[in-house]
Amino acid sequence: MKKLGAILMAALMLVGIVACTAKPADKPAEEPADTTVAQGKVFNIYAWNEEFKGFFEKYYTVPEGVTVNWIITPSDNGAYQQKLDEALLNQANASDDDKIDLFLAEADYIGKYVDSDYTMDISKIGFTNADTMYEYTIKAASDVNGVCKGVSFQCCPAAVIYRKSIAKDVLGTDDPAEVQAAIDSWEKFDAVAAQAKEKGYYMTASFAETFRAFSNNCTMPWVDANDNLQFDPQITKWIEQTDKYIKNGYTLTAGVWDAEKTNQMFAEGKTMCFFGPAWYYNFSMTNAMDPEKGCVGDWCIVKGPQAYFWGGTWLLAATGSDNTEMLKDIFETFTKNEDVCTKLVENEGQYPNNTKVAEKFANDPNWGNTMILDGQNDTAIFAELAKDIKWENHTNYDQILNEGLQNKLQEYFNGSIDYETAMNNFYQLIKETYPNIKLPAA
Amino acid sequence: MKKRISDNTLGKIKLIILRVIVYAILVFLTFLCLFFFYLMIVNASRSNAELATGFSILPKGNFFVNLKNAWNDASINIPRGMLNSLIIAVSSALITTYFSALTAYGIHAYNFRGKKFVFTFIMAIMMIPSQVSALGFLQLMTKWNFTDSYIPLIVPGIAAPVVFFYMKQYMESVLPLDVIDAARVDGSNEFRTFNTIVLPMIKPAIAVQMIFSFVSSWNNYFIPALLLNKAELKTVPIMIAQLRSADYSKFDMGKVYMFILLAILPVMIVYIILSKSIIKGVTAGSVKG
Amino acid sequence: MEKIQTGTGKKLKSVSYAKWGYIFIAPFFIAYIIFTLVPQLLTIYNSFFETYRIGLQQVGPNFVGLDNYIALFQPDANGTILILKYALNTMILWIAGAVPQFVIAMLLALFFTSTRLNIKGQSFFKTVIYMPNLIMAAAFSMLFYTLFSRVGPIQALLENWGVIDHTFDFFAIRVSVRGMIALMNFLMWFGNTTIVLMAGIMGIDQSLFESATIDGANSVQVFFKVTMPLLMPIFVYCLITAMIGGIQMFDVPQVLSKGDGVPNGTTRTLVMYLNGYLKTKNLGMSGAISVIMFVITGGLGAIVYKMLSAPYKDQNRKHRERKGNVL
Repeated sequence: MKKLGAILMAALMLVGIVACTAKPADKPAEEPADTTVAQGKVFNIYAWNEEFKGFFEKYYTVPEGVTVNWIITPSDNGAYQQKLDEALLNQANASDDDKIDLFLAEADYIGKYVDSDYTMDISKIGFTNADTMYEYTIKAASDVNGVCKGVSFQCCPAAVIYRKSIAKDVLGTDDPAEVQAAIDSWEKFDAVAAQAKEKGYYMTASFAETFRAFSNNCTMPWVDANDNLQFDPQITKWIEQTDKYIKNGYTLTAGVWDAEKTNQMFAEGKTMCFFGPAWYYNFSMTNAMDPEKGCVGDWCIVKGPQAYFWGGTWLLAATGSDNTEMLKDIFETFTKNEDVCTKLVENEGQYPNNTKVAEKFANDPNWGNTMILDGQNDTAIFAELAKDIKWENHTNYDQILNEGLQNKLQEYFNGSIDYETAMNNFYQLIKETYPNIKLPAA
Repeated sequence: MKKRISDNTLGKIKLIILRVIVYAILVFLTFLCLFFFYLMIVNASRSNAELATGFSILPKGNFFVNLKNAWNDASINIPRGMLNSLIIAVSSALITTYFSALTAYGIHAYNFRGKKFVFTFIMAIMMIPSQVSALGFLQLMTKWNFTDSYIPLIVPGIAAPVVFFYMKQYMESVLPLDVIDAARVDGSNEFRTFNTIVLPMIKPAIAVQMIFSFVSSWNNYFIPALLLNKAELKTVPIMIAQLRSADYSKFDMGKVYMFILLAILPVMIVYIILSKSIIKGVTAGSVKG
Repeated sequence: MEKIQTGTGKKLKSVSYAKWGYIFIAPFFIAYIIFTLVPQLLTIYNSFFETYRIGLQQVGPNFVGLDNYIALFQPDANGTILILKYALNTMILWIAGAVPQFVIAMLLALFFTSTRLNIKGQSFFKTVIYMPNLIMAAAFSMLFYTLFSRVGPIQALLENWGVIDHTFDFFAIRVSVRGMIALMNFLMWFGNTTIVLMAGIMGIDQSLFESATIDGANSVQVFFKVTMPLLMPIFVYCLITAMIGGIQMFDVPQVLSKGDGVPNGTTRTLVMYLNGYLKTKNLGMSGAISVIMFVITGGLGAIVYKMLSAPYKDQNRKHRERKGNVL
């Protein structure tokens, strides 16, 4: 009796195994992208937040009969990339209406997609890069052979945004030129931090506030050609600075996105400086714009100790898209359409990926940012900074490494663990995410 | 005589003190259980600005504003999530209970070779959590193009050892084999006997297990989070976990509490209506035999 | 005579109906094989391979034998073996919730079943204490996070009272995060355990209590000498089911700590560890972790099976005996 049962079970198991192992053998043939085919009715966009969705819905008219699907996964711990990778790897098998048409990528990992066959040459769909576009945005979206796979709708030179009232109290002046003179190097910046502390202010509101100012000036990539992890002197400098800032009480232990930090942007906040590009206004400074508790007009912007850029969102064309005309249309709207680019500056406080529009605002004596600043022409500042942005030393691992380092060190900075343990946790994270990266010998 | 009376009063006093202590413990635990729900409901009725000020004992007037905001939120489509969760939970509750009853009946009513082995086998796999085969499960489902599909969340419910065990126990106590024989004499075929005679007889067990299956499916997070990508397919627990993401600081907190409330509300309503039979079900399931 | 006839008739029938047994249990086994057994075997199979992704690029699968298992038990720079650390975390989190869960549940079960105490409003209390069991763990955990977060109401209240300053962070303190998880697990499960234990106590023959009392045993003696021994099978059943639930602990700590197991990975459980590798498609390592968890739960499952199959065997024997009588 037992025997028969066992045989039956074994037989069933066998059937199961055969059924499952037979499957992977037949690989589906990859279909080449054909631009002449009829356009699809469903347009799928992968993104990690709502930022671009807002602009898209306001400034782009979707062709009649096309449904736009947004597939949004927050980027925490690389979750967005994981979901996107999964979908791209499955792209060839997906039905036309399920294929990704457009996906968004950040500076930290754009290379991974650009250097793959999952993105397509946008010249093939009829888009030509304009010379009004910033060079680095094109370079970032191009593969090793210089084939461009997408565009950015923004250019992201970043600067120091400071509270005028606090600057006045600490430095005795709130004039941008004088404030800039007072903080134009890290040594001076540190000195002002000490002054601010004496007056009861914080210099920055997050331990990671200055991270990008350092990390985007690195002279070597995070991972070398042989997969060895390497610490750039800029990263080491950031850790040293932050260590000092935390110990001296110049900053808070909150992360860059934490509510504890953004609450410092209310009028009652005690923080003098925030580090960010133009997208920072809309994305991170909504507390400052709060009608009741905010402090619109109490802000100015200066270059700060070190020029840098931060982030940026690229729109990449996914191979296999059946909405190539719409893709081209979207790319044109957000880079070449001067009307839309103008509105992005005027209504959204963005800095556009269009030199012509940017220059127009930079040179307009009547233009000033009143959305959050005191009417200062921030476009002029950004325009100067944008000229120097270079695209170099990026790896496909940057997101996990940049954010992972911040996350793991946060526990050191808030005092729960020692430095060695925090670094060890960082290495563990790398080991779990990218087993190929060789860690410094422990 | 005297001594006995004082003994008696002493006992009574002891009993009263004991009762006071017991009721105090019960009241405290009741408070603990209800406190968080109450807090959630109160907070779901307060505006973001009010919430920043700390606690409030009484509900405020922002309940319907928060409800409207949460219901119409663009990124977290909670009505859609609730509908999705409802579809999955109802289907898997139906499938799980029906097939578990069928399997239990197969073993209860028939004698066949290997029956004992089969029963032993099901008992042995009962305690193995689904997580340990999650890897292979995901691999297979991806290969068969079942990601972004509800099939892998519903169909595996056919094999639910715990529900099977409950059904089997229940049948042993309420389903005499004579009834089946009688049906056979009347010319009923085996499937019809099961569907029209057996199922009605084990209705209480089915009802209880439907509720439990519904609840566990509604609350399930691990596998759906790994399988579902598309926004329009996401279930409530995925959406709740999503709240705890990078943009947390930008949320209207009144809305966040409302999301949490909406996530647990359907189960709460079912529970309040059916709590008696649910509690009876817990007992019957685990201690029979 | 008549009895014998029906008996033989039945026997003949039961042979001819045997195929229906197979038909009725077939869906279960087909579903089990497709959705559990094959995945299980695939999981074990994967654990012997180096197979992961670097973004869009697939590495492996290369057969590496037991390398993944060896890697799992390799100490890191601090000398910590992570899988043991996470197993220990899981155990600590479980015990911290389970001890109060069982103590309180046992007390309540005794209170509720005591005729001397004669507790009023039992069905109300039972309804209330069971309720948290049905709550979505992810939502419950999210609720705790919102309450205890650095900008949450509890922080604000304690700051106002001057108990803590603004740099205080509940989620940076091991005891507080673990405490929250334990509290949630306790709240979610003590009602369930109470009800099960209660039913167990009520199933005990009342005359045993009476005779023990007549023999002069006090209530503590009755509990240890009569109640507990007779309740043992059910108690152990509860304990082991709870333990297996504990090994699977995921939703609560995952949502509470955003998957990081703050602080310093001290609230990261085995399933969270597994989930991390699953998300990055490191099939080799997640396979190895799964197999280790399988072995642990398999061991516990075997114990439960032994306990539960005993009464079944008895019944089976009775069943056969009855049949024998008929024949």
